[in-house]
Amino acid sequence: MALLKVKFDQKKRVKLAQGLWLMNWVSVLAGIIIFSLGLFLKIELRKRSDVMNNSESHFVPNSLIGVGLLSCVFNSLAGKICYDSLDPAKYAKWKPWLKPYLAICVSFNIVLFLVALCCFLMRGSLESTLAYGLKNGMKYYRDTDTPGRCFMKKTIDMLQIEFKCCGNNGFRDWFEIQWISNRYLDFSSKEVKDRIKSNVDGRYLVDGVPFSCCNPNSPRPCIQYQITNNSAHYSYDHQTEELNLWVRGCRAALLSYYSSLMNSIGVFTLLVWLFEVSITAGLRYLHTALDGVPNPEEPECESEGWLLEKSLPETWKAFLESVKKLGKGNQVEAEGAAAGQAPEAG
Amino acid sequence: MAPVLPLVLPLQPRIRLAQGLWLLSWLLALAGGLTLLCSGHLLVQLWHLGTFLAPSCRFPALPQVALAAGAVALGTGLGGAGASRASLDAARYPPWRGVLGPLLVAGTAGGGGLLVFALGLALGLPGSLDQGLEEGLGTALGHYKDTEVPGHCHSKRLMDELQLKHHCCGRHGYKDWFGVQWVSSRYLDPSDQDVVDRIQSNVEGLYLTDGVPFSCCNPHSPRPCLQSQLSDPYAHPLFDPRQPNLNLWAQGCHEVLLRHLQELASTLGSMLAVTFLLQALVLIGLRYLQTALEGLGGVIDGEGETQGYLFPGGLKEMLKTAWLQGGVAHRPAPEEAPPEEAPPKEDLPEA
Repeated sequence: MALLKVKFDQKKRVKLAQGLWLMNWVSVLAGIIIFSLGLFLKIELRKRSDVMNNSESHFVPNSLIGVGLLSCVFNSLAGKICYDSLDPAKYAKWKPWLKPYLAICVSFNIVLFLVALCCFLMRGSLESTLAYGLKNGMKYYRDTDTPGRCFMKKTIDMLQIEFKCCGNNGFRDWFEIQWISNRYLDFSSKEVKDRIKSNVDGRYLVDGVPFSCCNPNSPRPCIQYQITNNSAHYSYDHQTEELNLWVRGCRAALLSYYSSLMNSIGVFTLLVWLFEVSITAGLRYLHTALDGVPNPEEPECESEGWLLEKSLPETWKAFLESVKKLGKGNQVEAEGAAAGQAPEAG
Repeated sequence: MAPVLPLVLPLQPRIRLAQGLWLLSWLLALAGGLTLLCSGHLLVQLWHLGTFLAPSCRFPALPQVALAAGAVALGTGLGGAGASRASLDAARYPPWRGVLGPLLVAGTAGGGGLLVFALGLALGLPGSLDQGLEEGLGTALGHYKDTEVPGHCHSKRLMDELQLKHHCCGRHGYKDWFGVQWVSSRYLDPSDQDVVDRIQSNVEGLYLTDGVPFSCCNPHSPRPCLQSQLSDPYAHPLFDPRQPNLNLWAQGCHEVLLRHLQELASTLGSMLAVTFLLQALVLIGLRYLQTALEGLGGVIDGEGETQGYLFPGGLKEMLKTAWLQGGVAHRPAPEEAPPEEAPPKEDLPEA
């Protein structure tokens, strides 16, 4: 009792082969798109690796690039097979390779599905990397004289301007660190001396933020210093003022940017996965239909195509038995070889 | 009645002509498409920078005309490709016989005219950009503080975004901000003696300071941005505004925008020149193909030699025929075709 049996006559077989050929070339295009999406994601992660402390994981874009390339290779090969299947002479030379090839296709589809899932799951690790990286970045903001860190001020300023955000979780993060370099502080001033003495670590802390936190939508010129002091500015209440500085934290801003990017890539990869599964199923039908032709010299006859020769439980039993047989024959290499060799179809 | 610039075309050269024309037509379609994209891009840029260009500036006319010229070039290219492909196939040529005439007329008059007009604009208009930007930026700077005046409330945001994006400050430099009141009067404390002094110190009663908005700040500076008291060399430790420094953006927005728009205009101009050249070649080739095939009576595979020409007779004879034909009531197309083919003759030495 075969699984999902379908009858094929000559015309139907030819139509199936032609349709599969076209689908394979569309799939090659989709593979190229996945490759370029993976490359784009890798470049975007590299661009901001400064605020992620250079420790971000490139697993997802690398696997997208690999899967895209593999998809191109496999699908162009499958296209060639479908094209040759219309000619019995050419098909004969492909016949012995089709079963292992189908097994490889099935495992490739599983890998593609896992990669698509990974796109949605990377968010968690990215969040912790960003939190840690931004905290360090803000700490080194003032070290414009230290070699190796002198670019951090520029990076954070450009980041806050581009993503319209301020600080790690909000603008108050800037109140807790010294972001003005000691070199530009006038140590003879009483105010500076008071501030430095007012905390244990001897840091110059102000209730002010860098200029890059300023929001251009505000109707009044930006208030960067003495933010919490209402009397320092005319007609100002820091608790009701919302448009003066960017309200969002840079961690949330970057996270939402990367999440939306990876979600859209994940959705596209899932669609490509569905397409690939249908191609594999079609290829399997073509394979069994052409094998079912009793006499290759008379292609006009009907044949049957199926997904599995026996029903699912019987196929699983046969697979286990073949594994046991191999295990009995060669005990050393049993695990590795059996898992790789015996195809699902039995 | 000697034909103008005749060319003998036996079968093989005819086929070569048709094949070469097919390739040139696709190149023309590509060039037309690129011109469309280029002018579309320039239009989008001008839409974003609309507030900084005076309304009297005619510069936006250039991308609009180039858009139309690009569309016509694209259409001519596609039509030429179809016609040259059909001329190689006897079964497909008859419907194209009727189309070729109007196509050539539309291509020469419409496309050629538009392209020449657009090229002229591309050469002449960028000069008016200077004046337009000067006025537009001056107005924008003056309205920076008017965040509550309807009609100008977006000036501050747009000016800040311009300075942040294009890395510039003021019109020609940061000192332009010293000459305008950029702080809204609503946020000035009338009881503060410093404010009162400043307002009384000038004729117009403006609150002028030696400070700049935050969007002038340069992130490359090693120290936090200094925005106020910029004329006083002793106001900030270790900072002398008279020395070159990275504190603010050094360029003025006028220079930056002018360079940006002029670059786009010159790219568009070169694209238009290439399209014009290709269109002239395609139209001449199509005309030769058309007249050669008409000589055979529309039969493609005829082995005979025919002559292709640009115009059936000299200029005088053409005008005479047109005048005679004008006396009889008929559809306007044949009457317009001969005189309209005269101006392209002047265009040819250019190409």
